[in-house]
Amino acid sequence: MSEIHGAVGAYVMNALEGDELVEFETHLAECPTCQREVVEFRETATELSLLSRTDPPPMLKGSVMAAIAGVRVLPPEEAEGNHAATAPEAVPRQPLREVPVAPTDELAVRRQRRRMRVLSLAVAAVTVVALVLGGFVVSLSQRQPPLASVTAETELLRAPDLKAYTITLKDGGQATFVASKSLNRAMFSSGDLPALNQDQTYQLWTLAGPLTSPTRVTPDALVSAGGAAKQWFTGPIAQSDALAISIEKAGGASAPTNIQGATSF
Amino acid sequence: MGLSAVPSGPGGEASRTDPAPPRDVAGRGAEAARLADLVARSSRGHEDAFSELYDLTASRMYGLVLRILRSADHAAEVTQEVFVEVWRQSARYAPDKGSVLAWMSTIAHRRAVDRVRSVSSEVARDEQYAVTTVVREADHVWEDVEQKMDVERVRKGMASLTAIQREAIGLAYFGGYTQTQVASLLKLPLGTVKTRIRDGLIGLRDALGVEE
Repeated sequence: MSEIHGAVGAYVMNALEGDELVEFETHLAECPTCQREVVEFRETATELSLLSRTDPPPMLKGSVMAAIAGVRVLPPEEAEGNHAATAPEAVPRQPLREVPVAPTDELAVRRQRRRMRVLSLAVAAVTVVALVLGGFVVSLSQRQPPLASVTAETELLRAPDLKAYTITLKDGGQATFVASKSLNRAMFSSGDLPALNQDQTYQLWTLAGPLTSPTRVTPDALVSAGGAAKQWFTGPIAQSDALAISIEKAGGASAPTNIQGATSF
Repeated sequence: MGLSAVPSGPGGEASRTDPAPPRDVAGRGAEAARLADLVARSSRGHEDAFSELYDLTASRMYGLVLRILRSADHAAEVTQEVFVEVWRQSARYAPDKGSVLAWMSTIAHRRAVDRVRSVSSEVARDEQYAVTTVVREADHVWEDVEQKMDVERVRKGMASLTAIQREAIGLAYFGGYTQTQVASLLKLPLGTVKTRIRDGLIGLRDALGVEE
């Protein structure tokens, strides 16, 4: 592995600078291996942003929609610029906003940028002592609480023998079953359960044996209908092999009649 | 008892018995295809498609930008720039070069990093961040189980790395630091940092089983 090849990770993290950035991009244009790694690592890095998910302020959407109304969509790139070399730069690189020079003066921009980076390095070293604890960046002055407090739900999701299945229900909607035999717990969750009539309810079931010919079918908790729902199973998960959801008359049933979905685990 | 009539059991998508991926892979693929479709429609000027794209991705983009900038005001501003850029470039999104989320996250990360490295914003990692963080914690309580599972998956992936790999990736990705700055913060040679970032990404990629 050539030395420049090793910079691919730093490149994806936007951590390369100056000459090395230029050098790597030149290399990247001719290195299929690096091009492939850039694509893969970008997908991987994107997963990291799951850890920082935050709902934006509600007014931001209106502001964004108003802003795009005045912006023309650029036409697709010309075929001539479409050779492999352009692949890594599919994402536009913007000059620094604060740089008071014409964006065409690349050298000046780069010089300015380098100056700013030197400065920001100094600032960074003094003011921000960042640590990574358990996968999270925290600063000493603003320590964040752990991502989720240890609740039964979190405990379930961290179970070493966690099984999770998302299925599409018969009458629409997606549902997820999450189960851990070692914890003897299971949960049902859906973001879009179809609404039911007044006299109907969703009901959960635990099953023993194979899904097609179960040896035991036990009625479990009821799930209020419509929209987002989350419900713990009450039954013996450790002794069960499958989970199901059905639609029943209000109050529930002792045997399922209108099964919406099931999964063995 | 008509359990054999179950419409979409685990057999629906071939082998679901493998416990490794906690999240249904087909579901993720469907999500990705939906985003790609929304980008395609946006590129033909459909603002309703773009509105939906915003709804599905805003918390990922804003959260990433906020984590890097640590200022709610700057984060909102940069997030808006990101979405305007996504709209402008929507006809140039190439599905064969990665998912919509990766494409958008790359734009967002680069924008946030450019902003944080400019002098003015270095001062601007302000106190509001702490406030926003509290709000965010409250949000997590109400998160869907699916989202929590995704988060847990990434947490486990990060936990599988060595401490140095984890720190280097965290500082570069969420801290917005250059490799030189990361090396300085970790008191390690630049070459070591470079290698750790790449090795860490390889480890994370393998742990997450991210499909291309």
